[in-house]
Amino acid sequence: MAWTCEQIESRLSEYLDHLLGAAERHEFEAHAAGCARCTELVGRVGKLVGEMHRFEPLEVPPRLVSNILEQTLGKRAEKKGWRAWLGWLRPIAQPRFAYGAVTVFVTTIVLSQALGFQIRKISKENLKPANIYRAADRRAHLVYARSSKFFSDLRVVYEIQSRLRPEAEPQAAPEQQPAPNQRPGQSEGQPTRPRGLNRANNHNFTLLASMLDAVPVRSMR
Amino acid sequence: MRRHTRRIYNLCYRFTSNRHESEDLTQDVFLRVYRTLGSYRSAHGGFATWMTSVTRNLLIDHYRRTKRDRLTDSLEDALPKLEEKESAGRRPDQAALAGELSEQVQRALGKISPDLREAVILRDLQGLEYREIQEVLGVPEGTVKSRINRGRIELARLLEQMGVRPE
Repeated sequence: MAWTCEQIESRLSEYLDHLLGAAERHEFEAHAAGCARCTELVGRVGKLVGEMHRFEPLEVPPRLVSNILEQTLGKRAEKKGWRAWLGWLRPIAQPRFAYGAVTVFVTTIVLSQALGFQIRKISKENLKPANIYRAADRRAHLVYARSSKFFSDLRVVYEIQSRLRPEAEPQAAPEQQPAPNQRPGQSEGQPTRPRGLNRANNHNFTLLASMLDAVPVRSMR
Repeated sequence: MRRHTRRIYNLCYRFTSNRHESEDLTQDVFLRVYRTLGSYRSAHGGFATWMTSVTRNLLIDHYRRTKRDRLTDSLEDALPKLEEKESAGRRPDQAALAGELSEQVQRALGKISPDLREAVILRDLQGLEYREIQEVLGVPEGTVKSRINRGRIELARLLEQMGVRPE
């Protein structure tokens, strides 16, 4: 059965608040779509409700909360002596403030170290922007020079190591039965020698000597 | 504490449209809540709902107490005075309302009956669910639905008469 305008008006808020079932909602919308008066009513009230839901709550007067606390819990006992003197410290004696202060302090120390300030020898001249810039620039160049020197040294060491390494590892020979009179580690047909001596032969020493002649002497740190 | 204070203050202001009365009523609400805290049972609903019930009872008491004054000084006469007073010295809370739909709605709310007004305020300005409103007002669900519906339609009609159309 189709809904009447009176039904639409009486169930309007239930429709707006999504309290109607699917069938009722369908009937509601079917009527509203074909009735100009109901369409206008639904639109007008719907917009008003939407606007009211968006209203910001008013701020309470500043003294209201303290008045309520005074009326319910009574007046706060006034502090005397050194507690009264230190009362102003209460807002800053909070963990949040302490964290912030420590962070600022550490950041200052790190920055001053990076800029080359020495806290004990700091003077008014050091705080001039031009001097700060100069110190920062000098520090940055110093760091760059040290870094490039370090990498250069590292490269030399790596080159020496790679030259000293045997060029090609010999293919693993098929496992052979050792001769009855051969000791473990002794190669066939050669006299027994310490294993370490095999790695640095005369050829490698010659190569190292030629490289050291070619590379300028640097201090390796 | 601050959250509840703000909610109760707003409820009182929306109902009375008077800042000073709302402040006094908010204080009275907290005083009563403080004294009758022992009577609160969580099984009967949330604390906020219970507090809203206390506020609503105080608002109704206040409405009845001040009814005689309002009868001698009709609302139509009082509104222009209220407007003058508001425009003369605007405080931050009034400034927030000034020139907005909120102010027009506040005026229209003052013109509808208290039963419809409280239902609309609780639903649309305090955001309570129908079940919570039923608990606060102590009336059946059908009555709550009817009051909210009639209140909204009446409010929309009054706003149209005032030449206000929500966008």
